[in-house]
Amino acid sequence: MSKILKFFDRHLAYVMIIPAIILILLFSILPILESTRYAFFDFQLNDQKKSGIYMTSNYNMPLSDETFEYIDYYLEIEAATVQKADTIQYINRMRDDIKGYQLNLKSILGSQTGVVETSRENIQVIQAINKDIKFAIDLLYSMDDVFYSEEDMQAVASELETCIIESNFIGLDNFKQILSDPRVIYTLSITLIFTFISVFCELLLGLALALIMNKAMKGRGLIRTFSLIPWAIPTSVAALMWSYLYNGSSGIVATAFSNIGLIGQPTELLLTAKAALGSIIMADVWKTTPYMALLILAGLQVIPNALYESSSLDGANKIMQFRHITLPLLKPSILVALLFRTLDAFRVFDLIWVLTGGGPGGTTESISVYAYKVMFAQTRFGYGSAMVLIMAIAVGMISYAYIKILDVKLIGE
Amino acid sequence: MVNKRAERLFAIIIVLYLLIIVFPFIWVGITSFKPESEIWGTEALNVFSSNSTMEHYLALFKANILNSLKNSLIISSITTLYVTFVASCCAYAIARLKFIGKNLLLAVVLATSMFPQMIVVGPIYNIFVKLGWTNSYFITLPYSMITLPVAIFILVTHFAKVPKEMEESASIDGASKMRTFIKIILPLALPGIFTAAIITFIGVWNEFLLSLTLNSDSNYHTATVAISFLRGQFQIFWGQVTAATMVVTIPTLIIVILFQKQIISGLTSGAVKE
Repeated sequence: MSKILKFFDRHLAYVMIIPAIILILLFSILPILESTRYAFFDFQLNDQKKSGIYMTSNYNMPLSDETFEYIDYYLEIEAATVQKADTIQYINRMRDDIKGYQLNLKSILGSQTGVVETSRENIQVIQAINKDIKFAIDLLYSMDDVFYSEEDMQAVASELETCIIESNFIGLDNFKQILSDPRVIYTLSITLIFTFISVFCELLLGLALALIMNKAMKGRGLIRTFSLIPWAIPTSVAALMWSYLYNGSSGIVATAFSNIGLIGQPTELLLTAKAALGSIIMADVWKTTPYMALLILAGLQVIPNALYESSSLDGANKIMQFRHITLPLLKPSILVALLFRTLDAFRVFDLIWVLTGGGPGGTTESISVYAYKVMFAQTRFGYGSAMVLIMAIAVGMISYAYIKILDVKLIGE
Repeated sequence: MVNKRAERLFAIIIVLYLLIIVFPFIWVGITSFKPESEIWGTEALNVFSSNSTMEHYLALFKANILNSLKNSLIISSITTLYVTFVASCCAYAIARLKFIGKNLLLAVVLATSMFPQMIVVGPIYNIFVKLGWTNSYFITLPYSMITLPVAIFILVTHFAKVPKEMEESASIDGASKMRTFIKIILPLALPGIFTAAIITFIGVWNEFLLSLTLNSDSNYHTATVAISFLRGQFQIFWGQVTAATMVVTIPTLIIVILFQKQIISGLTSGAVKE
């Protein structure tokens, strides 16, 4: 017992980090790698032939067995109803032939069941067999006789093709498609406009508010508590609240905007593209400016007062103090706040999803909203993942740029 | 006096700022007590209603909102408990112990906190479907992805603040490293652990994307998702929407008022170098 404890103690650091590493591995790193893999495949859940990741070719054995059974069944029916002896003879030969094909198929693929992985050459052989069967069926129905199940037979026979699942590896095709997808370009530009305007407004307002809060003598605790509220409430709840204030028939903000002439009718606020995007930005500024102000305020409060006192003895005025003391010392806090805000704004999802749903007519979709719709409404996971991957690369570049500018270690040792 | 005037201006700005923050809540609160007939049309903008009613709140009891609040509470609590524990261990090792690959671990933690969540949603959804874990409380596991990095950062800064002498004197007394951690460091870092727990709790409580995707059955909706579904496609009952908004907001308000100090210290611990 004590030996185990001693071992634990000697390697305590590793014992302590293992749970975190396992969680990060399982729920961050592996999904990210898996998503990256999706991006190179034409992976679509709603398409039977593409609903998995197939690096190699596959053959759907159960479906094949079922199809052969049906073909035989319809041939039997036709044999019972046709008029001429020639036709009956042809059908009987055909039934034997098809049984032979099926055995042939099984000997190629071995005794495996389920969806069987196989080589491209085997798939070509199977395709040739399928062609022969198709030809035999077409020949049968071109004979001069009375048939009752031609439509059913053709429908069943076409299933033979469905049994073949070819590799859906498509290399960089998803990325090529993204570059020429106008909706990607559009949603990306909406995301950038949203990010730029909202973060810019939040920074300016947050900085101003932080400076004022820093001067405020009374009620600092109250101001802080109030400032936390918009940050703390769920984004989806905030979005719903604003959608009520913005709505065209009873929203007070929509009515107020229309009364002061910002928009024509109250209904225009959420039903025209520009106004709707403006509304989203406004809701975001409302929710995040106080958070920004709190972060900057915390940075302000660690600037030693002595710096201001000695500089004012040297005859510096308030503006000079702001430029030469406050701003340089505040730079790290501002940059960290900016970094996190930019990343948050760039991946904006909840706010738009609940407030406008991307509407009107898809005009306020961010890249996240579009990617989500591609993945979960159209179930095109391959294409959606490629889009998200490009987003992640953009996020990486933004972070890298900020950290370079910051030029400080985010965490001190 | 210029100063007096500036002070007055600042006071006005602060009051205006506070008003803008609370206005949406007040207006939504007012609406939640109006009968449906007064929410639309000419009376929509009246502040007071002569026929105040509790009908929207009563209707919520029939709807799934209460159940979704229960789900949110369970999921947030479970996640908070295990994430705080895992993060405490990891953060202590980072702050105080020596091990190979510390910088790599820090870089990975930082990077995962920056990645868009959208990138993990697809694979996690597919795995959950395969394992039959959708519409269950297993959703707490992937929530580590959003909460763990933040909790680790908050805790690293707190463990780093505990004076090193405490550990040194304990090790002279012959205490094992594990004992030192449990008996000496943990109690001293308790405020930091509490801060990390609150930030984690709020993070999970507010999460939307994973919840929307993994728990799509309305019996397993969390509050944030359930409330978003009140906004139907064709008809919106603003009375119920506003009442639900109030109900969902109140727990958050209580947490903010009670734990204001811890939340602010948690939010700023990464941003300010002390």
